[in-house]
Amino acid sequence: MHIPDSFMPLSQALIYWAIAIPFIIMSLRWARKEMDDMKNPILAALAAGIFAIQALNIPIGMGTSGHMVGATLVAIVLGSPWAGLLVLTLVLIVQGFVFGDGGVTVMGANIINMGLISGFVGYYTFVGLKKRVSMSIAAFVGAWLGLFVSSLATAVELWLAGTFPLVPGLMAMGTFHFIIGIVGEGLITTIALSAIARSRPDLLSDIVKDIHGGAEA
Amino acid sequence: MNPNMKFLLVGLAIAIVISVAAPFLASPDPDGLESAAGNIIEESEFAELEESEPAVQSPMPDYSIEGMGKSGEILAITIGSIAMLLIAYGIGKAAKI
Repeated sequence: MHIPDSFMPLSQALIYWAIAIPFIIMSLRWARKEMDDMKNPILAALAAGIFAIQALNIPIGMGTSGHMVGATLVAIVLGSPWAGLLVLTLVLIVQGFVFGDGGVTVMGANIINMGLISGFVGYYTFVGLKKRVSMSIAAFVGAWLGLFVSSLATAVELWLAGTFPLVPGLMAMGTFHFIIGIVGEGLITTIALSAIARSRPDLLSDIVKDIHGGAEA
Repeated sequence: MNPNMKFLLVGLAIAIVISVAAPFLASPDPDGLESAAGNIIEESEFAELEESEPAVQSPMPDYSIEGMGKSGEILAITIGSIAMLLIAYGIGKAAKI
């Protein structure tokens, strides 16, 4: 879902940068407040893993492929959507400047779509659902919805940019990312979270505690 | 030792395994955005968008190193994964200063 430079006029691309920067600053404030020597290795490992998994495009049929974004997973593991935004911002900076994946001028839009929208929608969907359903289902639905909504936001931005027609853009982006969200985002998020829950349940203790607290209340 | 350093090392190992496998396993099909663009934008206009140069030239475009084929792709993605680990660790540290 990385928008290339040519898909958006510079004047609009800069507006998304202007919107993205305050959010990036808030994610750094989160890091300043919350990061410590215990959380730092987790953040670093997730950043490396998400960069790598984003290079692994999964075929979804219709001559199309897609990959995980990962903001929801980071947000759940570190307990804040700001963590997802921070990691995706760093990943998108490296992808854009070093690997030509996603334009540099449109990076603000890519940060808003993949870091902000997918992570916040995914994380708060997860938080809302986890009291009612299992952690795995809540994570799956959250990750899926986060990716799906961010793809629709991308379609609207590209319509405003004059690149996509509105309805066909929403239909095409929605259709492809409905499927990418299931296989690329929901499934991998759930598998990774389950693996962490099994090997390091203490890392997710806040989530588990909340589930128990929710059941009693 | 910080017990979470094991998490970092396991995470790095997984990232490197994916980095080495990705050039062989990744689908060459266009991603959701490119595919959508190809379907709904008029052909000549789409070709123009695809051919236009990015604003900034990157040293390893498309996760590859010129003239190195698959081994270059493995190297590029592995370098990226390790760089991400170091950058994120550094930002986490620097945020506290």
